[in-house]
Amino acid sequence: MDADNLNVIVGEGTCGIAAGSKEVIDAFRKYDPEINIRTVGCVGMCHQEVITEINDNNGNRFLYGQVTKQVVPKIIRYHMGEGNLPKDHLIFSPEEQSSDKWQYLGNQTRIALRNVGLMDPASISDYQQRDGYKAIKKVIEDMTPEQVIGEVEASHLRGRGGAGFPTHLKWNFARQSEGDIKYLICNGDEGDPGAFMDRSLLEGDPHNIIEGMLIAAYAIGSSMGYAYIRAEYPLAVKNFGKAIADAHEQNILGKNILGSDFSFDIKIKEGAGAFVCGEETALIASIEGERGMPRFKPPFPAIKGLFGKPTIINNVETLANLPWIISNGGAAYAAYGTEDSKGTKVFALAGAIKKGGLVEVPMGTKIRDVLESIGGGSSSGKPLKAVQLGGPSGGCIPEKLFDTTIEYAAINATGAIMGSGGMIVMDETTCMVDLARYFLSFTQQESCGKCTFCRIGTLRMKELLTKICDGNAVMGDLDALDELTEQIKKASLCGLGQTAPNPVATTLKYFRNEYEAHIKDKRCPAAVCKSLITHTIIPDTCTGCSLCDIQCPVDAITGQKKVKGSYSIDQAKCINCGMCFEVCNSKAIVVE
Amino acid sequence: MEKALEAKVEPEVILGWIEKIGGDSSSTVPLLQAVQSEYGYLPREAMDLIIQNSDITGSQAYGVATFYSQFRLKPVGRHIIRICHGTACHVSGADRLKTSLRHILNISDEEQDTAENGSYTIEEVACIGCCSQAPVMVVSEDVLGNLSGAAAQRALKKHARQNDEIVTNIL
Ligand SMILES: Cc1cc2nc3c(=O)[nH]c(=O)nc-3n(C[C@H](O)[C@H](O)[C@H](O)COP(=O)(O)O)c2cc1C
Ligand code: FES
Repeated sequence: MDADNLNVIVGEGTCGIAAGSKEVIDAFRKYDPEINIRTVGCVGMCHQEVITEINDNNGNRFLYGQVTKQVVPKIIRYHMGEGNLPKDHLIFSPEEQSSDKWQYLGNQTRIALRNVGLMDPASISDYQQRDGYKAIKKVIEDMTPEQVIGEVEASHLRGRGGAGFPTHLKWNFARQSEGDIKYLICNGDEGDPGAFMDRSLLEGDPHNIIEGMLIAAYAIGSSMGYAYIRAEYPLAVKNFGKAIADAHEQNILGKNILGSDFSFDIKIKEGAGAFVCGEETALIASIEGERGMPRFKPPFPAIKGLFGKPTIINNVETLANLPWIISNGGAAYAAYGTEDSKGTKVFALAGAIKKGGLVEVPMGTKIRDVLESIGGGSSSGKPLKAVQLGGPSGGCIPEKLFDTTIEYAAINATGAIMGSGGMIVMDETTCMVDLARYFLSFTQQESCGKCTFCRIGTLRMKELLTKICDGNAVMGDLDALDELTEQIKKASLCGLGQTAPNPVATTLKYFRNEYEAHIKDKRCPAAVCKSLITHTIIPDTCTGCSLCDIQCPVDAITGQKKVKGSYSIDQAKCINCGMCFEVCNSKAIVVE
Repeated sequence: MEKALEAKVEPEVILGWIEKIGGDSSSTVPLLQAVQSEYGYLPREAMDLIIQNSDITGSQAYGVATFYSQFRLKPVGRHIIRICHGTACHVSGADRLKTSLRHILNISDEEQDTAENGSYTIEEVACIGCCSQAPVMVVSEDVLGNLSGAAAQRALKKHARQNDEIVTNIL
């Protein structure tokens, strides 16, 4: 067989690129410059990147993971009948459909993510072959706006951007409000620093988001839409821009769409790096060219929004569900999930987890099942301690509550929030006080400064947490944290301030022992807080390789090269940066 | 050093953008984005030209420039390294990337983020959406994941070799 007969498909989302997809593509080309290569978005098995699919000329699909340029020749040789199957990298093949690796996708229910990684985001015909743009056709030809809203009501879809507000209710407000012009905004700001489902959707299935926007626009009566995409996602901006242009060409966007009297267009607005701009009123101010400061609601944007006109803002993932709901019916969507929360939810799994990536599961799934059946458990082998849900607005759920089901009310009861779906997994090497401080410095920096309690209160909390991390705090400081939590929640205008204390409140509730260890014993149990730890070299284990000396940024390490056990650390100079620990191959450095 | 890195602003370029993007207040962010992507920062002359030749006022231009973290008013090095400081990267050792890169670039002054020879600027950014490859950094346009401090140094040295830059504290 000739390599020309193979179709090679390489995952090229941002994560594929980060894992080295360019090198893999080059390796294929080097083997055969004519080889047929296509690229697709991120399928969400980020732990398996670079992912490569081979379609041979018998129509068989082979999926390989963790492909590097060294693995490429092995794959090619096998498919040319010259070598053995590179089993270690095989995820899926006609014979192998139950591998451990494949379970990751097999245990998911993909609705919002149904296309990502399975098609070329740059190809509108790929999307159409997967039933794309059939829903909007159905809407335009057979449905009234009220029927569209009714279908979404039947699906019980709630906003996936964090607040969980019923989508059809919001649409109804906008539908009913008077206005010659109404705006629809796709919120692709994805501010939670640890969530990437919206990025994958915008990068990997942009036409699905456009179709979702078209459905929403038709329902509320909007003719102009904006896609607000954060600055850190250049590939999303590029792919989404191409999709808009291609949709225009086929009259799926623009005037008199598909020959009807419905017209709609989309402009991209790139964010400029401000977390608060994910909040609706701040986002509107930002599009208008102002500093992104939230304002008091009411009036709600559905009544008075962008440029003073009725405006609906929907999250990317919310929109991604709409074409499926229209095609399959609201009831089919509502068949997934629980009484409280219907349908599916996407999570971005990262941190101390074996198989990180994108996970879409029905509401009502237990957190433990996501972590174990799909995520494969701890990556370090050390027991898991907690997951962080909801980012800076959310909280930490401890291991003892991992049987909590994923639904709005149950998650809220733990003190965390569903949020947009960031799920950061932590083992015992994460210090919960340091984590709380991390989030508070984030919110303090991102506070727009309008409300005093949000502006100064978060700063006070950050200072107190720093005092604790430095070992300078007293027990009374914990009461001060409690008090500030209440005040900031009550006295802030927007969701940023109202939820900013959550990371502190939940860690104090579930990990008070760690706070006390810092305060009473001047000890950081996770060995993270720099003021409370020391790095030392065990002379018996030190091989004298000098790597630590070379890496130390402050010249704190001295010793004689090639003389075993000769190296030592000057504690007065050491800044506990951990570089020596990282480079030491003989585990001669201990951190306590 | 900063003086030496200052960009030479050509008025026609700025005026061209005002023409193309618009000079009303809702164009503030896209205009500043255009300036920054050209020069890597917002040079004083470019800001003056925008304020003089559009409806955007000084307080609006600088209000926006200082509000959004993307914008910077200080010159940058020839290449930019963005180190992610999102949650996943924070718990996976993003701090060590910063320490190790500042070390080989010989940047010791807390206030500085650019190497003395003008080669690289280190910026901290919020999540770039590759959290399951944490910790992550972006050198020029290349996203690199699953790094350690030492791996980040290796990547930087490779980049420097390819771009004829000198990394000061070569090991
Ligand atoms: C501080 C803050 C940041 C937010 N960031 C985002 C975001 O990044 N993406 C998002 O979709 N919604 C974000 N939201 C929620 C939005 O205000 C809004 O509720 C949501 O976009 C509505 O869409 P949905 O109903 O489809 O969820 C944020 C809210 C607050 C208070
Ligand atoms: S936290 Fe660093 S890429 Fe998301």
